[in-house]
Amino acid sequence: MLTFIEMEFLKLKRSKIFLLSIIGAILPPLLMFIAVTAFDEGQTFQMLFENVNMYMSAMFAVLLFAIIISYLFGREYNEHTLKTMLTIPISRGKFLMSKYIMFLVWIVILTVVTMLSATLFGFIAGLEGFTMELFAGSFAQLLYANVLLFLTFSPFVFVSLFITNMVPAMVGGAGLSLVNLMIYGQNWAPFVPWVCPYLIASGEIAEYTTSIMVSYGVILATFVIGLAISYIYFTKKDVQI
Amino acid sequence: MLDYVIETNNLSKIYSKNKVVDSVSMHVERGKIYGLLGKNGAGKTTTMCMLLNLTYPSSGDIYLFGKNPKKNSDGIYSKIGSIIETPGFYENLTAYENLKIIAKIRGNYDSFHINSVLKMVNLENAKSKKYKDFSLGMKQRLGIAAAIMHSPELLILDEPINGLDPFGIKEIRTLLKRLAHEFGITILISSHILSEIENIADVIGFMDEGVLIEEISKEDLHSRLNKFVEFEVSDIDLAVNIFRELELKENEDFTVCGNEICLYTHLQLRDKFNELFVKAGIDVRKVNLCEENLEEFFTRFVSNN
Repeated sequence: MLTFIEMEFLKLKRSKIFLLSIIGAILPPLLMFIAVTAFDEGQTFQMLFENVNMYMSAMFAVLLFAIIISYLFGREYNEHTLKTMLTIPISRGKFLMSKYIMFLVWIVILTVVTMLSATLFGFIAGLEGFTMELFAGSFAQLLYANVLLFLTFSPFVFVSLFITNMVPAMVGGAGLSLVNLMIYGQNWAPFVPWVCPYLIASGEIAEYTTSIMVSYGVILATFVIGLAISYIYFTKKDVQI
Repeated sequence: MLDYVIETNNLSKIYSKNKVVDSVSMHVERGKIYGLLGKNGAGKTTTMCMLLNLTYPSSGDIYLFGKNPKKNSDGIYSKIGSIIETPGFYENLTAYENLKIIAKIRGNYDSFHINSVLKMVNLENAKSKKYKDFSLGMKQRLGIAAAIMHSPELLILDEPINGLDPFGIKEIRTLLKRLAHEFGITILISSHILSEIENIADVIGFMDEGVLIEEISKEDLHSRLNKFVEFEVSDIDLAVNIFRELELKENEDFTVCGNEICLYTHLQLRDKFNELFVKAGIDVRKVNLCEENLEEFFTRFVSNN
């Protein structure tokens, strides 16, 4: 599996999408930096990290991750490389899993980029209250939210296999980001798979009457269902030449 | 008993209600070059995709190296190299990097070997060039390099010479013949270019509308090609009258085309006919004993079937 991941990294060499995703990961900290300097919002590192984590994992990450997952799977169809890869041979299940794990590795990289850039912007803006403990806690919170979000993206794998160009993923991701915005704060937010990762990671779930286990259940169910339909579809469907 | 590297029994593929491959029973012997010949849409690519497990058969059986690939897929498919239509590679990567990915996943990465394979297909100077900047011919060459890189025992090549210039075609033809005859690699190659198949194949499978009409060895093919005598004469009407007087029927025993008469029957009497023409005052400019080419045979064969 390590070789697969290594090769997935090689596939990203000179790829613009990787660079764009890094810029995407920097965008929420940059916007918060602008808000701090222009609108005098959030004068401490704690507020900056809280805002960055919220905007990233509850909103922007949904769109960003949808684009990434669509690229990871869709490019094999669009560049006609699937027939080359599968005849090496690679088992279809292994191929699917290696891509999904690569998606997780990519998410971890983006999480690190977001936190480091937020810290850098915080120092440039002259914010106070930075401690390693705060940094580590905020990083852990963002990472946990993003990993939970990763689990909820298995249905997007199916969408990427079914419709191989990136437009549906972009539209779907943007739509879900808006849905998250509308649902956030509502009573039934803990039941929505793409909202509860942030609620759980930030601890805001405690403000709702719904048990945290229900939210974990929703995430797990989304993951299992998404993965199962993706696996069945990918292993049973003929490769389009 | 013949050693078949590929054997299919009543292999069929149905898309919706359309039967694109219909009960194909194919036999590819070890070490031979098997040419699958058919028009566009004859079912050649779908058949090859089923052999490579890219497309699942609707019915029928496949045996590769005498085994059912469903039961030992990794062991079997690792002995196969393939190109299906235009090869697919990562556009942002170079030729070398694309081959590296394949070799690494196969578990036999060797930088020297990749370079030698690139040299074999005349891409050594383009190894650092990005795939997206390749011409169609270069893409085909890289596809062939990827297919032969792991020294396979069987090559399945779907239209591998598409996009190649005449020099490229000749090089690839020589390479494939060498792989088959020197290294004993079995090759299944499809094409709609009849002359290419005629040039390279030991056995030809004729496919039309999803049906494998017949498998013919090259030796058998030559014995089945129609032969005819071509007369080029100064007075075509008089020559036709002579044939008619001999009770030969136009469009059955002979055909007329411009100043030429093609005689399909009584070929052994061609010298007598020539004598009759000369006695009648006709100048006979040319008498050729000709053989139907593969294109003519294919057209006749498909329309008869």
